[in-house]
Amino acid sequence: MKLLYSFLKDMRLATRGFYFYLELGFALIFVAVLIFVVPENFESSVPVYAHLDLEGPYLAAAQDSLAREAYDVTLLDSRQEVEAGLADNRSSVGLVISLEGGRVVYDYILQGYENEKFRNIIKTTIEAGFARNVPGYSEAATVTTLDADAEVLSDRLNILPVFLGLNAAFMGLFIIASYIFLDKDEGTIRAFAVTPATVWQYLLSKMGVMLVAGLMSGLVATVLVAGTAANYLHLILLLIACNAFGSALGLLIASFFDTMVKAMGWLYLSVIVLAFASVSYYMPAFSPLAIRILPSYPMLFAFRETLYQASDLAYIYYNVLGFSAAAVVLFLLANWRFKKTLTV
Amino acid sequence: MMISCDGLYHSYTHNEKYAVRNVSFQIEKGEVFGFLGPSGAGKSTTQGVMTGLLQLQKGDVTVAGENVRKASRALFNKIGVSFEQSNVYGKLTALENLAFYRRLFDVPTREPAELLELVGLDHVAKQRASEFSKGMKHRLTFARSMLNNPEMWFLDEPTTGLDPAIASVIKDIVKAEKEKGTTVFLTTHNMFVADELCDRVAFITDGELKLVDSPRNLKLQHGERMVEVEYRDNGDLRKETFSFVDEADRRQINQIVNSGKVEMMHTKEATLEQIFIKVTGRGLE
Repeated sequence: MKLLYSFLKDMRLATRGFYFYLELGFALIFVAVLIFVVPENFESSVPVYAHLDLEGPYLAAAQDSLAREAYDVTLLDSRQEVEAGLADNRSSVGLVISLEGGRVVYDYILQGYENEKFRNIIKTTIEAGFARNVPGYSEAATVTTLDADAEVLSDRLNILPVFLGLNAAFMGLFIIASYIFLDKDEGTIRAFAVTPATVWQYLLSKMGVMLVAGLMSGLVATVLVAGTAANYLHLILLLIACNAFGSALGLLIASFFDTMVKAMGWLYLSVIVLAFASVSYYMPAFSPLAIRILPSYPMLFAFRETLYQASDLAYIYYNVLGFSAAAVVLFLLANWRFKKTLTV
Repeated sequence: MMISCDGLYHSYTHNEKYAVRNVSFQIEKGEVFGFLGPSGAGKSTTQGVMTGLLQLQKGDVTVAGENVRKASRALFNKIGVSFEQSNVYGKLTALENLAFYRRLFDVPTREPAELLELVGLDHVAKQRASEFSKGMKHRLTFARSMLNNPEMWFLDEPTTGLDPAIASVIKDIVKAEKEKGTTVFLTTHNMFVADELCDRVAFITDGELKLVDSPRNLKLQHGERMVEVEYRDNGDLRKETFSFVDEADRRQINQIVNSGKVEMMHTKEATLEQIFIKVTGRGLE
């Protein structure tokens, strides 16, 4: 009962304070950006301003090719007009195709900020488009898909696991430390310490507040972004485990310091290091061991699994159990540390 | 015996630099024991160890029958602590503060509204503590320490920062609790409060206990045993100091008293502050 009363008191304090709404506010801002700014899927087409200085069959072939490839092409009458178009639209590229001595010459006009990789992609894409019109051309490359039924999330949904990992799970790491140091500053920890209530009850009630905030922000974001396209039972279990892990880690770090200022550096560093996993999440080809051993790495993929129609339940439950166990260990360590340092 | 403190040492730096050194004393049940000393003398450190807020490093300390080195949480059902620095939840009202803390005890507790009335905060019971003045927060902290009807009551500077009227109310509450049999450990640098409330006082400076005795005994031992008399002599107001020890002075006092011309008479016993300075060579501020 002491734990319940302590939790209710902490919820009351939290809802009358700033930090609780910070997490929810972030969730709403994130959702607004995701819905109103981020497209369902990112389009990578680049506007092309082209001038075709060609005649006869070459002109017809080039026009046909441009039409079939569905490029965002604007045909202009001169090179000067192409350059003017580029000046107006800084994300566009220019192309002038001319015939010199019986050879088709492609003249690319770029903005200047494009890197070598981009230049090569543009060159290859456009040339390949025209190459298909050359008589006798055939595709030499074949593509084989191992899992033809693999589900692919939209680009918008694919961002959600990163938010769930960083905000719903790890935001608590910072905020729970703030709550502890706020109590230290007010001296209320000392008043609590001279009652029959225990340190673990004190710490667990704080984790309860973090859990409520994490669940609310995580579920609000998922409902608004994913709608019914999420496995909510598994998402909730994963949110609970990951949030508990983040809060317990925050408690343990906070137990080594007596002020928020001293703890801030380590808390910030922890979140930054954990956030590295999102790099590999977006670029699976880059996943060195140093990133794969971060707890946030499996966490992001587990959150992604909860958004699939056919979730990998074993992977989700493996993560739920793993993060729950880690949370218990971290909590016990934090409790042991705080017994010595909470009132000093 | 309510408190037994034997050979207590405590170092914040965990070395030979002790904040309190070889402090020993006992407090009987129902006694009001004053712990007097200037700031930094070791008063709060000693109280911190006895209330479990600081770890017992060296020595033996027993509070309400439990060794604090291995005390159970149940010990805190028997003790109450009023801190020098007010420490209440600013975002909770006065009533919510007390209502929360009372639920942490396993023993019958007092009604928060009754306690707020006792310390004169009933009119702001539903106001958030962050809106309180320093003195009001101090009274709320004091009221909270009474929630569980403590057998052993630790009071750290209970009247500091309070106006004389409120300080008088607080002292009356302490006296009333003493009448009920509550044992009080009163930490203060205010010798008037100690003199008024305490059965015995201890002087502590630089972490060392210098003396433990009752205020009466101390005054008898260290006072001058003089009396100051104001009287009329042929219409003129005269003021003289006489010794109780000197035979000639005693006869003169009798003569003045018998003449019926005495207007004021004060014994000139030493104050606790004067005795403290005499014993320790230090002031109390």
